[in-house]
Amino acid sequence: MKSWYQGVAAAALLSGLGTAAAAEGYTIGISNTVQGNGWREEMVCAMKAEALASGLVDSLNIAHRNTDAAGQLEDIRNLIQAGVDAIVVNPANADGINAAIKEATDAGIVVVAVDQAVTEPSAYILSNNQEEYAYVGAKWLFETMGGTGAVVYMRGAAGAGADNDRDVGFKRALAEYPNITVAQEVFTGWQQDQGKQQILDILASGIPIQGVWTSGIDNVIVDAFVESEAPLVPIVGADNAGFVGQLASVEGLVGAAVTNPGSVGGAGVALALQILQGQMPQAQTVLVTPALWANNSDEGKALIAAGQNPNLDPEWPVSVSIPGWTTYTMDQIIACKGPGE
Amino acid sequence: MMRLVQRNGWVAGLLVLLIILLIATKIIQPDFGASGVESLGRASVPFAFATAAMAIVVIAGGIDLSIAAMMAVCSVTAARLMVGAGDGETVLIVILVLALGALMGAINGAMVVLTRVPDIVVTLAMLFVWEGTALLILNTPSGAATQWLRDLILGSLSIPGLPERATFIPKSLVFVVICLIPFWFIMHRTKLGLSIYAVGGDPVAAFRSGVPIGRTRIIAYSLAGVLAGLGGLSLTMSTGIGEPIPGPYLLASVSAVVLGGVALSGGKGGIIGPIVAVFILRLVRMDLTLMSVDPNVTTIVEGTIMVVVVMLGGMLAMKGRRP
Repeated sequence: MKSWYQGVAAAALLSGLGTAAAAEGYTIGISNTVQGNGWREEMVCAMKAEALASGLVDSLNIAHRNTDAAGQLEDIRNLIQAGVDAIVVNPANADGINAAIKEATDAGIVVVAVDQAVTEPSAYILSNNQEEYAYVGAKWLFETMGGTGAVVYMRGAAGAGADNDRDVGFKRALAEYPNITVAQEVFTGWQQDQGKQQILDILASGIPIQGVWTSGIDNVIVDAFVESEAPLVPIVGADNAGFVGQLASVEGLVGAAVTNPGSVGGAGVALALQILQGQMPQAQTVLVTPALWANNSDEGKALIAAGQNPNLDPEWPVSVSIPGWTTYTMDQIIACKGPGE
Repeated sequence: MMRLVQRNGWVAGLLVLLIILLIATKIIQPDFGASGVESLGRASVPFAFATAAMAIVVIAGGIDLSIAAMMAVCSVTAARLMVGAGDGETVLIVILVLALGALMGAINGAMVVLTRVPDIVVTLAMLFVWEGTALLILNTPSGAATQWLRDLILGSLSIPGLPERATFIPKSLVFVVICLIPFWFIMHRTKLGLSIYAVGGDPVAAFRSGVPIGRTRIIAYSLAGVLAGLGGLSLTMSTGIGEPIPGPYLLASVSAVVLGGVALSGGKGGIIGPIVAVFILRLVRMDLTLMSVDPNVTTIVEGTIMVVVVMLGGMLAMKGRRP
């Protein structure tokens, strides 16, 4: 009797789900280990939009959840089982998923790692240069502070690969400015609420600060200064829509946005499709160099003005496409629909 | 035979569900075979140890929210020590890591027993302590794993005279079974196991029967710690590195324990049911990926299965109680 009940439960589960799509064009697998973060959501939407715009992809197989490297090993192996032609992966870290990537490439599947690098040599890498990201922003900040003063260093998630790379870049800039000190170093975990609470605590404590460097949790930091009526100091953030809007609109705010395009995911899909069609890239690794948009220079002001886009979620990077790589339109990425959706 | 099925009705039901799911997987993906089973086996290893750990603590009437964090501590310790370690040294490192797991578990248990603060509060606090400890040991994913240790869960068991592909038994599954046998034996064939069930089922009755409540609970937490150590080791074995940030093993282990027929109120259930539940949950995840179901729907489906199965179980239990 008991197994009958369970049989019904299993049948209900199975009938509720569709059947696998018939394959004609390419099937692309996607693996991502952070869910619910604006940057990563834009990355996944860019992947979907590029797959749709290319016209070459029949279906996307997306493994998108919060997990660790061991979980990503499982996801990649499941994608191998699903028989995909290529896998575009944002790796949990550089070494932990090498075993599954090797199994995929051995099975003839093209693997492209986006955003962060992997050490498995059979994978192609299309990554934002995270060390440079931190360096250019920190250098601008220390320069704007006049080469002296105390800075709040608001990092990403402790132990994350990108956070460590950025730390190297930040420390490199710090070494060039001996009169700059770090007043407070905190991990925001790339969480808006956590970052805001931390800066409110720092402001309330009354420690003198002359600048804030953030690892992309930026618009809430400006909000905290404005809400607590603290005197604004130079702030560095990422090119998230909310922060770029503030750079143009908040009176007295001197700040800079460093580009870190989430659309690198779309570029990864484009690269995978090129390889599937026999066009090999010149190098196994392609690095996307970050740009700095500062609102204290005319050039930066123009870039900030051009980057304004009220249709975007405030957590989304405004650099929604990468010239030379992505082919989708602004509407396509905002719609966030892949082939067959 | 019938008696065996009746006594282990819940486990038998889960096994039927597992077989149905395996058949469904074969229908969804006709190529599903030895390599698919092998992938499933390897993915299940850390979940299996986390779940067995949670099952023992829950049977003892507690709950350990720090299991995933203890796994992270053990994983980074192993990965850090195994950099450049020889084959012999690796054996010592494994023993050390398991001892570390036991120690952390004992600390958790002792704090629960001595402070009389509820388990859920103590282990929630310890979750943060162990998380920080893992980051102190290794602040970024790195380290190494000795090759022979990694090979223990790699590939399928080869039977002499048969090609490797012809055998469907993944080494990872054998590894889990061998590691769990001692724990199954303790829980079901020793006085200590009986005490753990007694303490979880009715502490007052256990106390009046002369069972040392505090000591039994600390031992239960230590056993869970050793299992968390095995879980941490298996993470290092599968990734080849140590990751200081805990993975999603806490909630997954609670899910598998509940689905596996262990009562959260303590004193009821076993280890085998939750382990079968681990395979079911991993297979569901695989099927959802194979069918390219929207990832945001995936978690809803996983949660729904849990609720439906546990509700059916509850209904059956009530039915069974009627005269």
